[in-house]
Amino acid sequence: MAAIATLVAGVVLGYLGQRSRMCFVGGIRDFMLVRDRYLLRGLIAFGVTAWLAFPLMTAIGAPGVGPFGASDVVTVILTACGGFGVGYISTLANGCPFRQHVLAAQGVISSAAYLAGFLAGAVIFHAWAAPLLLRLLPAWG
Amino acid sequence: MATVVDSIAPSRSVRRRVRITATMTGIVGGLLAVIAGALFDVRPPDAYGLCMACHARDLVDWTINAAAGTQLTVAPASLVFPVLTPIGVLLGALMAARTSGEFRWQQPEHPLKTFLYGILVMNCALLAGGCSIRLLLRTSAGEPAGMIGFGALAAGVIVATQWLRWRTTR
Repeated sequence: MAAIATLVAGVVLGYLGQRSRMCFVGGIRDFMLVRDRYLLRGLIAFGVTAWLAFPLMTAIGAPGVGPFGASDVVTVILTACGGFGVGYISTLANGCPFRQHVLAAQGVISSAAYLAGFLAGAVIFHAWAAPLLLRLLPAWG
Repeated sequence: MATVVDSIAPSRSVRRRVRITATMTGIVGGLLAVIAGALFDVRPPDAYGLCMACHARDLVDWTINAAAGTQLTVAPASLVFPVLTPIGVLLGALMAARTSGEFRWQQPEHPLKTFLYGILVMNCALLAGGCSIRLLLRTSAGEPAGMIGFGALAAGVIVATQWLRWRTTR
């Protein structure tokens, strides 16, 4: 069920994302560089819609999210470092992971290479990076 | 031929075509992300309905686990069968690019450089527990760690943009 739902959602978003040039880091970048709000509006629309839709789903009886407990300091630091890295490198790479998927599908070979690295990165993280982190940070997890 | 005709007098098909904006994509994306998590079992963890990094990780790790019998990490939502978001996005974007005539082979940057960017972004995203989309989704769900992650992401974009601007004006 989850597989079919995500496949359908992916096709819809891929289509809309190609037509609208949607990017989740491009909004902040464009606003800073040329005060262009086009992509920033998409980013805000996503956040606000999800923020409204979560309680709406709970109201119709679907399982809700949370409550979220306080995270430990190490998790918070790692989340902040990871988030900063995603923002910084995505900006250098000229687009968030979603935008790179869309670009790869419209024939951009650089983005296809990005995706190859993206998929390899998942294996690298779980096979080497995460175990190494766990050894360096025994208190984590 | 079509473009020549369109440029002379916009045909009915051009006028009727609705322009899809980023705002529309954002609204549909936000809705689909929440609905996938709430109604279609794309959970646990919470706020997992849409993520390009985690879902790609699930797909790759699940496939390698199935093929090679390894024990790479997969989110509980993808234990039985993996989520297929990345494949969906690629298919949808390919359809849009083909029907609009925007599909074109091109190579603006060196593939090795972007390959390394891909590795780094995936590692940072898995460290943070989500790509830019899921960090925003977790923020909307009200998760404190997600908010910190999204704040850090915005800071990263701002610092990188300043760096790019400084480099070009130097």
